[in-house]
Amino acid sequence: MTADKAQRAAARSKTEADEEPRPVAKGLLFLAWLVPGLGHWLLGKRVRACVFAAVVFAAFVTGVLLDGELAVPQQNSPLSWFFAFGCLGNGVLYLLRLLWANGLDGLFNASFPYGLQGGGDPVAAGFFYGKTFLYTAGLMNLLVVLDVHDIARGDKN
Amino acid sequence: MSTISPVGTRTEMDHFVLLMWHAFLVAVFFAFLWRSDARGRKILFAKTFVMMAVGAFLLGWLMYPFP
Repeated sequence: MTADKAQRAAARSKTEADEEPRPVAKGLLFLAWLVPGLGHWLLGKRVRACVFAAVVFAAFVTGVLLDGELAVPQQNSPLSWFFAFGCLGNGVLYLLRLLWANGLDGLFNASFPYGLQGGGDPVAAGFFYGKTFLYTAGLMNLLVVLDVHDIARGDKN
Repeated sequence: MSTISPVGTRTEMDHFVLLMWHAFLVAVFFAFLWRSDARGRKILFAKTFVMMAVGAFLLGWLMYPFP
């Protein structure tokens, strides 16, 4: 009777130990954010990695081609930080686009992070559509990072 | 002042094609994010895509009476 109880307790503690979430490397999450799809690729989810990379890249390029503007932080506008965070989800694509729009000198100006240009053309017919695509791409990549976190932690296959 | 992208300022575009393209990308994304089997992905893709495409149409028509 006692041995049976001890056996069950041991089995229970083993199961709980198996269900313990694994620690997630911060570097993996950083890479997943920086390059869309790379996190899944490193975790061995190659098909998902390719699809996510293609979707985020396609949405971003569409947004740029439509003359959409990336959100950048603006002084006295707390909401702009919120939008900028969403766009920052694009990772290296966001950084390259800002570099393209501002140049290296403009990017690290005296008032950094303010005074940046988000690119795009406000009078273009596709300006707002472009913004939508750019924001969508950023938010999708943020969800991809969360997915990488869940997979690495063992919560998802 | 904002810069103009390399392709320049566009004056013509097809709103419907953009709507479909956006719906397609989002539907593919969520199908692969939320489902891990091929059948589940196809079903979720179809549902999401149709809901966005048809929903946009319906909303568009519903907005006609309003200024």
